[in-house]
Amino acid sequence: MGFDLNSFLAFIIFGVTIGVVYGIVALGISLIYSGLDIVHFAHGEMYMFGAFFGLVLADNVGLPYPVALVGAMIITAIVGMSVERVFYRRLTRAGGGYTVAGMGMIICGFGMSVAMVNVAYFIWGAEAEPFRANLDYIPRLQFPGDIEVPESYVLTAIISVILMIGLHYFLRYTKPGLAVRAVAHNKDIAYLMGINVPLMISLIFGVACALAAAAGVLIGPMQSVQVEMGYLMLMKAFAAAVVGGFGSLPGAIIGGIMVGVFENLGAAYISASHKDIYAFLLLILVLMVKPSGLFGVEAKVKA
Amino acid sequence: MIVLSKLADLFEDLAKRHRLLPWLIAYVLLLPLPFVLAGLFNEYLIDLVNRICLFILLAVGLNIVKGFCGQVTVGHIGLYAIGAVTSAVLSLEPGGFGGALGFGWPVWLSIPTAVLVTAFAGLIIGLPSVRLQGAYLALATLGLGESVRIFIAVTPALGSSTGLMMIPAPSVGSFTLDSFTSYYYIVMTAALLGIYFSFSILRSATGRAFQAIREDTTAAAVNGINVIQYKLLAFVFSAVYAGLAGALFAHMQPGYLHHNNFTVIEMVTLLLMVVLGGIGNVWGGVIGAIVVAIAYDQTKDLVFYFMDRPIVIQPLVFGLSMVLLVMFMPRGIGGWIEDFQRNRRFIRRSEERLSGSTRNT
Amino acid sequence: MKLKNRILAGALTVGVCFAAAATTYADDIRVGITMRMVSENGQAYGQMMMDEIKGINEAGGINGHMIKATLMNDECKSDKGVANANKLVFQEKVHLLIGSSCSSVTLPIVDVTAKAGVPQLVPHSTNSKITQKGSEWVFRVPVSGRYYGGVNAKYVGENIGTKIAYICAADAASVGDCANMEKQMKARFGVEPAYRADVQEKEVDFRAHMQKIKSMKVDGILVAALAETMARALVQSYEAGIGEDVRRIGSSSASNAPVPKIAGDAAKGVFFTAAYAAADQRPIAKLFNEMVKARYGIHAPDHDFSQAYDLVRIMEIALKNTALTGSLADDRTAIRDAIANVKGYEGLASGPISFCAAATPQCRDGNRTAVLIGYTKGGEDFETEVLARVTMEEDFGLE
Repeated sequence: MGFDLNSFLAFIIFGVTIGVVYGIVALGISLIYSGLDIVHFAHGEMYMFGAFFGLVLADNVGLPYPVALVGAMIITAIVGMSVERVFYRRLTRAGGGYTVAGMGMIICGFGMSVAMVNVAYFIWGAEAEPFRANLDYIPRLQFPGDIEVPESYVLTAIISVILMIGLHYFLRYTKPGLAVRAVAHNKDIAYLMGINVPLMISLIFGVACALAAAAGVLIGPMQSVQVEMGYLMLMKAFAAAVVGGFGSLPGAIIGGIMVGVFENLGAAYISASHKDIYAFLLLILVLMVKPSGLFGVEAKVKA
Repeated sequence: MIVLSKLADLFEDLAKRHRLLPWLIAYVLLLPLPFVLAGLFNEYLIDLVNRICLFILLAVGLNIVKGFCGQVTVGHIGLYAIGAVTSAVLSLEPGGFGGALGFGWPVWLSIPTAVLVTAFAGLIIGLPSVRLQGAYLALATLGLGESVRIFIAVTPALGSSTGLMMIPAPSVGSFTLDSFTSYYYIVMTAALLGIYFSFSILRSATGRAFQAIREDTTAAAVNGINVIQYKLLAFVFSAVYAGLAGALFAHMQPGYLHHNNFTVIEMVTLLLMVVLGGIGNVWGGVIGAIVVAIAYDQTKDLVFYFMDRPIVIQPLVFGLSMVLLVMFMPRGIGGWIEDFQRNRRFIRRSEERLSGSTRNT
Repeated sequence: MKLKNRILAGALTVGVCFAAAATTYADDIRVGITMRMVSENGQAYGQMMMDEIKGINEAGGINGHMIKATLMNDECKSDKGVANANKLVFQEKVHLLIGSSCSSVTLPIVDVTAKAGVPQLVPHSTNSKITQKGSEWVFRVPVSGRYYGGVNAKYVGENIGTKIAYICAADAASVGDCANMEKQMKARFGVEPAYRADVQEKEVDFRAHMQKIKSMKVDGILVAALAETMARALVQSYEAGIGEDVRRIGSSSASNAPVPKIAGDAAKGVFFTAAYAAADQRPIAKLFNEMVKARYGIHAPDHDFSQAYDLVRIMEIALKNTALTGSLADDRTAIRDAIANVKGYEGLASGPISFCAAATPQCRDGNRTAVLIGYTKGGEDFETEVLARVTMEEDFGLE
């Protein structure tokens, strides 16, 4: 099969649209890492919970899609903060300050991930649920060369950009944002400066979970919602965060887009059945060659 | 408690004089187990014990890299898969019924080869540990392990979705080891040897180097330990265990392998065994494997009715117990064992001191 | 050192005592069921079997014997399925084993039952290799994948066209469906697939494939995947802009309710082969539809429901024709022979189900008639129509 510029462009466009969603989840993972120095292995489940909350709000309660999106973000943020308060706080504290060296947090994250999947299974059952969002007011994008980008992808791109700008604004220009950055930089000094560090940690967790929820609600209409959806997204988001550099926020988005494009091109030109491996390959490659990632602050040795 | 202490003393004295003797006794004691089980209960329990032996191998192997050497790996199940698939493919007849790749090697040759291949794969999975630590290493190994599974899942030569079927059982002469009882002797021997070698490693210079790396990598390097070499060695050791467990699993009748036996859920179960047993404690890992495997078998079909809908609650319980274990019992069962040993040593030392003082007066 | 061995042995003994709930009922006929019980439908199938068996017991049992059924969950994982089968055979000492839903679980269980000498009835698995293993003990109630492939290929080639794109997910049933269809298209019409993508079992993003397929202008797309994956692929095929004129062909799992439920409007026009159509106009089918709706709240039962029901009826017939002696091995053999003597059972299935004694796929693939079904409406309250009903030759699709 010869090289076809149109389909090549299509693959890149689709890769970018899905990559932005990876980026949003990666943003949360990166935020938690820079704030708490832990890698949150149950973040995929936050994404799944967000998608289900969005589904309940939109379909069962009957809210319009954008309202459901915001509602799901808020509820998931609350869920995330409570999980952090009840379960993780004890561990992160035990390690001295808010870091823990070792594998306790990783194992705890894994356990939490399994537990949360099954809580969701308790509530919503194992079967996939369709998420039908009325998106008629969003235009279909028509690119030259018969490439059509459906409404849901356009919406995803728009909302992702809004979220990123919002997060950037929050971190740069607001007082809590400044406090969050101070906590991320050095918790002890932040304490001395009179910042309420535990509160800021909760805030970081809440924002990160809200971002994951947003990704879930955005992906819902494209891929339907299922309790097992979190794990794969987690892997892709990890890859994105690592490629962009753990702890770097713009890096997370760019990493996400890279993962999306990379796996789409791989699926198109190498082999479709190995699609999920490409993200892992990229992850491992970057970890081996440049562990700090493309935009990374230097890699911290922390769990 | 006192009786236990006395017994432990007795056996420890014995072990000091004859290193292998307690192991031989244990082996002899374990020999009639299948007949006891079949006689008292039923044959299914032999199958359960066989699977427990494989879990023990896996947990003990994971403990070497995780507990002794302190490297966070989540790709162990990938090594298990490599061992299983390699041995299966090597021993299957070429052009066989399942349509997968086959080489027709004898089973006794394919198992060691699979172990060697897995050891090499362990080296590769360990490579990231040279540069990475903590969470980064966990991510890299998770990615590698999952890549292995997906690769098996999409490669028809390795069984893909239909699985590898009718993998032959090992045979001695004309006697095929395809019953629960005959296979028990293979896996039980392997598990016991695995535990024994795990102790040998722990007590050797290599084991002490591992522990030095776990406690403080920099200090270990300063003291002349080749950190890279020992880290990789730990991965290779644990890969040997995983490869052996995998190969034995492949040939356990009915000899069927499917990629969904090697998912993250299995990895989580394995982690639970090690965490419950106490990271770094060999006997803890063994007990963890036994307890989790039995609990798994018994609770798998527990169904809880929630809003008239039957719900399988076991995964939830497993996940939560992992979180709670890490929170409230971070040293696991191994912690109790260590406390018990320490108390015993303390009591004995006080006794010696006491008797010594009486002699002086 | 030895202390720890004692602890080990002690723990083992405790666990063993725990596990030793082996019970033997003198007069009961023991039946073991292992199925994928994670989804709601999966649970409903299992529940229906248990309810039907309860019904038999309440009506006086089989020649005075009660049936004691044990239902186990294998999560569609082969290691768990094998463990369940071993437990049912050696601990529960069942006379008859029913299982499983997934081909990748049924395949190894066939070896377990063959070695232990326990008759096995297969409720849902379609992979054609199950009966080709040469086990004397296995009987398949559903239609084998080798027949489906032929029906699909014939209909597609004659009514739609031969330029077909294949999307094949990596679960055992779908891989089999894809391979059979490809083989039959080649045998009948001499065509190779216009496009073939092997995707993962739970693939979520098909857009790259759909984009390629769109540029190829094919006559039809075969989507072979499990229900939820298929639904996603269908939705995304419309999103990519592939028009309605390109027909979507489903694999046998298209009959499962999640497909129309999740795919919604994208399910309309999809056709597939199955062993039962809820649009069936026979009185027995109408009664069955009403019963399932009343008892389990299922809008329209798919063929997995009908097969579970048929299986219980076939089991009932066979057990009634068995003279039980009280010796487990003899009874198992007698039940096997009784099942092999079931001929021309007419139930819900698309065609009569007959078995015979030889351990060949010709004898043990009971149902040879597949119905071609099309969705005329998607969503929760989906509707189907029967397009055709085709009976295949006994050795069709064999090498």
